[in-house]
Order: sequence, then C-alpha cells, then structure tokens
Amino acid sequence: MKLRDAKTADQKAPWVERETMVEASPEEVWEALTDEDRLEEWMAPEVELDPTEGGEIAVRDGDDERAGTVETVEEQERFAFTWSRPGEGESFVEFTIEPLPGGTRVTVVETPIGPTAMALGGWTSRLARLHRSLSFTLVA
Amino acid sequence: MRAPAHRQVDSVFVALADPTRRRVVETLARGGTVTASGLAAQLPMTRQAVAKHLSALRGAELVSVMRIGRETHYKLRPQPLDEAAHWIQMVSAEWDDRLEALRRSLEKRGSRPR
Repeated sequence: MKLRDAKTADQKAPWVERETMVEASPEEVWEALTDEDRLEEWMAPEVELDPTEGGEIAVRDGDDERAGTVETVEEQERFAFTWSRPGEGESFVEFTIEPLPGGTRVTVVETPIGPTAMALGGWTSRLARLHRSLSFTLVA
Repeated sequence: MRAPAHRQVDSVFVALADPTRRRVVETLARGGTVTASGLAAQLPMTRQAVAKHLSALRGAELVSVMRIGRETHYKLRPQPLDEAAHWIQMVSAEWDDRLEALRRSLEKRGSRPR
C-alpha cells in the first residue's frame, strides 16, 4: 500500500478536520502529542508510542483499543500515524502544528484509507466532490 | 456508541465517487421505485450503462431491488449514506473532545510555576 500517496491525498481532502488554539509553544504541543505519558493526560488512559517513523502506537480506553504505525515525524510541525480497531478499516490521522502570535494552532485530520479507496487511485478529488455530494444528498 | 465500521462507509464513498453514479442516486432520491429503462429515460445514458451503475450501487447496499412481474425495480436505500455522515459526525465529535482535553492539559501545565 502506498501510504505516501494517501498522505498527500488526505491533506487535501480529509473526511474529518478539526482544530484548536492553545496557549502553549509549538515545543510544548509537540511534547504533548508525541510523549506517551503526556498523551495519557488527554488522549486516552493508556497510550503506548514509539515516536519514530515506522514505530508502533497503541491507544486503549477501556475495551476500546486501537493500534497502528507512526507515519510522519517532523519535529514541532507534523505528526501522523495510522490506526484501526481490531477487524476494522484503517484511518490515517495527522496533526499539524502551527505557531501563531500568543499560541499555537493544532489541526488534526482523520481519513479512512480502506483498500478499496486506495485501489481506486487519484481519489482525492473524488472525495472532495463526494463531500459536497453527500451533504447535498443528505440535506435534499 | 461507536462509529459504524469503516468498511461499510468506505464502500459507500467509493460507490459515490463516480459523478454519473451520483446522478443515478439523485434521480433515485426523487422517490419511488424505478426500472433501469425508466432511469435511462431520465438520464443521458443507455439502459446498459444505468444497469452497470445500479449494480455498483447494489454492491454498496445503496439500492434495493424488487421483482415486479417481469420487471426489476430499484429503490434508494439511504441508510448507508446516513452511516457515512454519522461516521463523520462521530469522529468529529471525538476529536473535538480530545483537542479540548489537549488544550486543558497544556494550559494547566503552562500555569504551573516553572
């Protein structure tokens, strides 16, 4: 599977994109995103993380478990991994850190990377159109 | 409550990735049941092309099929669309909660004496 391609696609057309502004430096945000003890303060009660590309991530909240692989580690800028629940499709998750006056913007995107979607190729624009189409269909 | 499995959602998005197929869905969304020939009459495509798209939509469980006499009738099943939208809503809400927790965690630290 060519995850690099998916990654580019995801940045353009994430299914879910959320952001927050924090009164902290990019350095502090980076630590909160990539240190397993810090992750346990906000992400889930149990987090195991090897914060290197190709490293493993495991997130447990009661019986809800997800595991995956670290994809991108760009110090204080970008941190991405895939994760999935047992027997379910994988998602690609990416955090972007951006310094702003007085704080830092943290953006997260999550996009499924199912084998079907990957096999289609060039699905970025399809997903983008699809978002509009889906909203149209649901509102109509 | 858990978001629906990706696999199902994934097949819906793939089925809808084709603009022609979306037109078929939109035409079906106007209601009722329709035959492949009936759909072809409303769309700029052949009955064969319509049948192919209907088959793909069946694969994603977006249409249901009924035999009435010698005719095959198709009807839109909106549930998978709802599931895809539900996935987006659930995952968005999860990240809103996590990002809020991240913000609190960082700002609590920031207020400590260093």
